[in-house]
Amino acid sequence: MSDFLKFDTLSLHAGQALDPEYGARAVPVYQTTSYVFPDSDTASSIFNLERGGHAYSRITNPTVGVLEQRVAALEGGSAAVCTSSGMASVFCAITAILGQGDHIVASSQMYGGNVSLLKNTLPRFGITATFVDPTDLEAIEAAVTDNTRLIFGELIGNPGLDIMDLEAVADIAGRHAVPLMIDATFNTPYLCRCFDHGANIVIHSLTKWMGGHGNSIGGAIVDGGNFDWGASGKFPTITEPYAPFQGINFWEEFGPSAYATRIRAEAMRDIGASMSPMNAFLLLQGIETLSLRMDRHIENTRALLGFLRAHEQVAWVSHPDLPDHGSHQQAKKYLPKGAGSIITFGVKGGREAGRAFIESLQFSSHLANVGDARTLIIHPASTTHSRIDGEALEAAGITEDMIRLSVGLENVEDIQGDFELGFKAAARVRQA
Amino acid sequence: MIVEINGEQVFVGTGGRAYDRERPAVVFLHGSGLDHTFWSLHTRFFAFRGYSVVAPDFPGHSLSGGEPLTSIQDMAEWLHVVLDSVGAERVSLVGHSQGCLVALEYAARFQAQLRSLSLIASGLATPVNPALIEAAEHAPDKAVNLMTGWGFGPAGQKHLGPVPGNAMLVNGWKVMRHNAPAALAADLNACDAYQGGAQAAAGIASPVQVIVGALDRMAPRKATEALIAALPAAEVTRIPGTGHMVPVETPDACRQALSTFVFKHNPAV
Repeated sequence: MSDFLKFDTLSLHAGQALDPEYGARAVPVYQTTSYVFPDSDTASSIFNLERGGHAYSRITNPTVGVLEQRVAALEGGSAAVCTSSGMASVFCAITAILGQGDHIVASSQMYGGNVSLLKNTLPRFGITATFVDPTDLEAIEAAVTDNTRLIFGELIGNPGLDIMDLEAVADIAGRHAVPLMIDATFNTPYLCRCFDHGANIVIHSLTKWMGGHGNSIGGAIVDGGNFDWGASGKFPTITEPYAPFQGINFWEEFGPSAYATRIRAEAMRDIGASMSPMNAFLLLQGIETLSLRMDRHIENTRALLGFLRAHEQVAWVSHPDLPDHGSHQQAKKYLPKGAGSIITFGVKGGREAGRAFIESLQFSSHLANVGDARTLIIHPASTTHSRIDGEALEAAGITEDMIRLSVGLENVEDIQGDFELGFKAAARVRQA
Repeated sequence: MIVEINGEQVFVGTGGRAYDRERPAVVFLHGSGLDHTFWSLHTRFFAFRGYSVVAPDFPGHSLSGGEPLTSIQDMAEWLHVVLDSVGAERVSLVGHSQGCLVALEYAARFQAQLRSLSLIASGLATPVNPALIEAAEHAPDKAVNLMTGWGFGPAGQKHLGPVPGNAMLVNGWKVMRHNAPAALAADLNACDAYQGGAQAAAGIASPVQVIVGALDRMAPRKATEALIAALPAAEVTRIPGTGHMVPVETPDACRQALSTFVFKHNPAV
């Protein structure tokens, strides 16, 4: 779809119909719970999915709708549903098509929240998961069972930064007639459009690079419109009558957007993890500059990679753009603009030196987030992954000395200067 | 529902309600490379207002088996078999683009059951650029890009749409790409070869309406004016700001025009 409006243009315009009354140029914030119906027939037809329209903001909202259509456009998806958080998106995306007895083949290198949902929460509802190395194609295929209904991973693993071979995994999913769902938070559609490589569902924590300013929690589920739910025959929630809407068959009625429509009709109504209009507005402000920010994130990342690799206080540096990274070839294939702006590295001196490093930084922020405009830094073993046992920690590729750095948009010389403060503190620990 | 036509399984969208031959039928005919989902903002509306809906995927398109048909005349004959097999009487035909040519040809041949004819975004003939046909046969991505790039008006290009969260242009692209190259190429060749529009139009006795997208670049003004001139009794509705994909770009205005016309000429019981 290369002959249409380009990425930068879509980032600014997709999904927004100009306000017909006042001509507002920015997307208005429709901070309302509900909408006055012009007549009863219109109301009933909206509730019965005969036409588009808004009835209640738990289900749809005009501001959120602009964000949804913009994210769908940027990804090349047929539709998107935004939710209150990225985790809400993962939950709604899975429960729309899986139920009691169903199984997921999942990457062992995922965000700790994803791992916890699959390992601890979903099993209570009869949905189980097998965790496998996302770069081990044989292990992925071997983990598929008769009950498998989903393969789920991240293009850029967290925090090990291993790159999944999307096309090969998509082939495995296709052979078993199940969709491939990718959490694309770390890459964003600017660095890689996963649908172009065979993914069927894309998940975003919009909280991170998409919004990019660390001010709003939000998530999105994007329907690739490229999975043949009918031919698969494994997904009755999409292809068989759904009683609450007079026996609607989403696949027959809506084709490429059947999956997203099911989520809208069921999850947003029954679970209600809806995004606030104000958050949608703030996230849209971020998306307007997504390509500009990502270019700068990548520029700063590459500068810091050189700085860290040359630094005597650094034990090791890992990033897929480095030739010695195990996923370097996959990074060149799937992420030619740059393999994201997360760097992991080890500070010489182990755990205590790492702690001294982080606690001596002046403006690089020690917190549990990534993808902010500002530089963020954390020690995963004691924070984001602290609830995961040692075995799973090792399986996720995390070491005790690992520092996870989310490179911000500051002047890179200032970031380096800040890090020098940390390294001096780390050196004092080593010498003590 | 699935019906068997000429030994092949044919999918017929019914708008979410079981087909009932006692009800008047509204028959939706999709355009080149598309399928029944193009009508999803119309079929369900009519199905829940006393009509039986027949929205077939033509052979070789999306959920229907068989080989794509290669002429508009064959499509009209095939449609007759479909409607005969489901027992459709009191028929309102609604066509879009290529579907209009099929509807014209059907209407001229099989007048007895016809109660109304609605033609959306079409000329009296549909000559197709040879480069597009070449692309459809050998470079389907390029062909689908051309079709959707030209087909959708400004709203489609901005991924707007009447259904919150849906990017209508991508939906159209996915359906058309699924049906390319075979079905799309057959459709475009059939449209290009069809010369029977004027003769068919002259023989139509049922009420006719023509719905035009003001920004349509695939059925441009000159072509639609020829259609309107050949159907002097037609009710004409021009919808502003809309490209070729009228039923999905401006479904509310399209539905208003369609329902007013069908309710009047083929009332539900």
